[in-house]
Amino acid sequence: MRCSYGLTAIPGTDARFFSPETSFLQLRRTFQPTRIKFGSFKIKAKIDEARKEMSFYELLGISERGTSLEIKQAYKQLARKYHPDVSPPDRVEEYTERFIRVQEAYETLSDPRRRALYDKDLALGIHLAFSARRRYQYDEDLEDRSEWKNRWQSQLSELKRRSMNRDAGGNMSWGARMRRQREELSKEL
Amino acid sequence: MRIRKENDGWKIDFSGKKPATPLLDTINYPLHMKNLSTRELEQLAAEVRADIVHTVSKTGGHLSSSLGVVELTIALHHVFDTPDDKIIWDVGHQAYPHKILTGRRSRMHTIRKTSGLAGFPKRDESVYDAFGAGHSSTSISAGLGMAVARDLLKKKNNVISVIGDGAMTAGLAYEAMNNAGFLDSNLIVVLNDNKQVSLPTATLQGPATPVGALTRALTKIQASAEFRKLREKAKGLTKQIGGQTHEIAAKVDEYARGMISASGSTLFEELGLYYIGPVDGHNIEDLVAMFEKVKAMPAPGPVLIHIVTEKGKGYPPAEAAIDKMHGVVNFDMETGKQFKSKSSTLSYTQYFAESLIKEAEADDKIVAIHAAMGGGTGLNFFHKRFPDRCFDVGIAEQHAVTFAAGLATEGLKPFCAIYSSFLQRGYDQVVHDVDLQKLPVRFAMDRAGLVGADGPTHCGAFDITYMACLPNMVVMAPSDEAELMHTVATAAAIDDRPSCFRFPRGNGLGVVIPHDYKGTPLEIGKGRIIMEGNRVAILGYGSIVQQCIEAANMLRSQNIYITVADARFCKPLDRDLIKQLANEHEILITVEEGSIGGFGSHVSHFLSLTGILDGPLKLRAMVLPDRYIDHGSPQDQIEEAGLSSRHISATVQSMLGRPKQAKQFK
Repeated sequence: MRCSYGLTAIPGTDARFFSPETSFLQLRRTFQPTRIKFGSFKIKAKIDEARKEMSFYELLGISERGTSLEIKQAYKQLARKYHPDVSPPDRVEEYTERFIRVQEAYETLSDPRRRALYDKDLALGIHLAFSARRRYQYDEDLEDRSEWKNRWQSQLSELKRRSMNRDAGGNMSWGARMRRQREELSKEL
Repeated sequence: MRIRKENDGWKIDFSGKKPATPLLDTINYPLHMKNLSTRELEQLAAEVRADIVHTVSKTGGHLSSSLGVVELTIALHHVFDTPDDKIIWDVGHQAYPHKILTGRRSRMHTIRKTSGLAGFPKRDESVYDAFGAGHSSTSISAGLGMAVARDLLKKKNNVISVIGDGAMTAGLAYEAMNNAGFLDSNLIVVLNDNKQVSLPTATLQGPATPVGALTRALTKIQASAEFRKLREKAKGLTKQIGGQTHEIAAKVDEYARGMISASGSTLFEELGLYYIGPVDGHNIEDLVAMFEKVKAMPAPGPVLIHIVTEKGKGYPPAEAAIDKMHGVVNFDMETGKQFKSKSSTLSYTQYFAESLIKEAEADDKIVAIHAAMGGGTGLNFFHKRFPDRCFDVGIAEQHAVTFAAGLATEGLKPFCAIYSSFLQRGYDQVVHDVDLQKLPVRFAMDRAGLVGADGPTHCGAFDITYMACLPNMVVMAPSDEAELMHTVATAAAIDDRPSCFRFPRGNGLGVVIPHDYKGTPLEIGKGRIIMEGNRVAILGYGSIVQQCIEAANMLRSQNIYITVADARFCKPLDRDLIKQLANEHEILITVEEGSIGGFGSHVSHFLSLTGILDGPLKLRAMVLPDRYIDHGSPQDQIEEAGLSSRHISATVQSMLGRPKQAKQFK
């Protein structure tokens, strides 16, 4: 069934950690892009772009557990190498691009907060350059707010549904007993 | 100050004068807010913000916590019917908007001052303050108590507990949620998440990075936008199946909820609270709609509503500041610049931090622990110098103490810097885990004695009593900043048993301090005589010695020359000094800034056991009175407590049989 995607969990993934990016990557063969919209076109384009690049750690040539000192040293070394002023004339563009990416890598990894966010994305299988993530984050924030409203509204309706049946005979919690007693009391009056 | 409506919201122009608040002027009690439209509520929010900034700029106090919850306060009072419905504020210093809207606006300029409004909710002050706050993390427990009482009394009101993400790091909040989930009583918990999770909200470099796993959970919840899309898909699917039974739809709903909610929310679900959120905490329309719906439900059980706010929202200098202008002295409204008075001496807290750093430089086994009070205890400086040897455990004093005990078992030298009144939370751990096992944990109790504007919730009145009764504890109190440094060195040197020392809030006196902040260890159980006299001896303990010296100076002008001694140690007592004072004088007065059962009790116990009390000695103990001293300025509080230099002189005079002269000092 083409729409089984919605109901069945991918074996081996916990539904709570389910992320569309991961599924995108895993389901590549069976997935049909025209069926399911991933919201913003921009995000999809960035994911494509990001998958081609190597991670910040690979870019700097250090391990993922690198200390801030290692990061700094790697950055200094590479910045000196790829700086447009010292790059060979025929490869200025390529080197400058590399320099910019090294710069971004350093900015991200040297700030503990940004690094934490980056590591989280990395674990999910995305490595977005920071500038890309910043735009993504901003868009995400705006989308988030409207998403939030929809989400809590549905949570509220679910709660209402539950609360209708909550105090039915079977529920023996203290609160339910008290509420039943109070209802009976007000009925008697 | 002008407040204007623009396209994307209300803009406040923070210039020097009092804001024009036409709508707020019509609101004295929550009842007056019932008929306001959403638009008017938003205008009210802007006016309340302006009012708070204006007031706090004049009085000082807590600023940004209140700014973050203006919309929440307005929404709660608009939807619910206080004071029958109970709103419990966990973090008391965010209650400024609440106080403004509940009949206390005209007195806001007296906040935190003597005889003025308290800086925290206080039951004695207003019927709208359902529960007193001060130590954080208590709102859910108290709220559950009120909810259960309501059920037993067959009443129908709502109970709303507001708690912050920082306060959630305390175990008490989980104990309460667990019980709430079990009892299944109707209770609304509002989790006000401003992503700070640590108090105060900064290290020296910038915002505190989250202290524990809880923030990761909360961040995940907020970032799970993508799941929504999956739910839409699933919903569309059930329509396609057609003629679905109730069960399938419910199952899809359940499953979809599992997909919607990110990993963090299940933390609350597991405890039995129904999770709703995240909700934009600054959108009044959303908040009102949501609270109305929850209020209308007959049996929701315990519900946790997760709202996201920004600390200091609406006041640009606060939004930009590193510590978000959490606690301020009076400041200039336009720029946010605070008028900090310059003092020639540092605070006791800073002297403590500097001397601890010095000790730690010499000894790499010294580590420091605090409970989310890096700024207040001065350990932010320690952290800057030794980032790997400073531990912030969140608002968790019990854990901090036992954690320190664990460190001590392995030979490290932990310094636990916890305020005197907050250490009360970890008292059993002090007794059972530290003292009983005789582990060398050092307790640095800041804010000992009366603390001024924060009032009795933060007053360190009891630490002498509860520490000195423990068999293995060494109990010390320095009388000035130089003594404090020596005391820190002494504590560092005591390695076979636990020790503690107390010091007050405030600045040093300006005495000569040891070179480079390095103290020298004192001889344990030895006090010192500061000035010699005859007939009367005053034995002071801690910073109150300064009041004793002043009293001696006042008496000298009356030709009375008294002896003043500084006990330094409450445990072990300087027995020789006490015997000497008792033998050489007719009158012995002990003075301490603590409750009954402390230093004075230990001295009198000793004197009675040695038989000295059988003799002619006249003994008096001056302690804090047997009641709570309200907030106010430090001078007013000491006067109220009867421990000022004036009171000490008067006591001496009346004991010398000269009551008329005593009256002269009154």
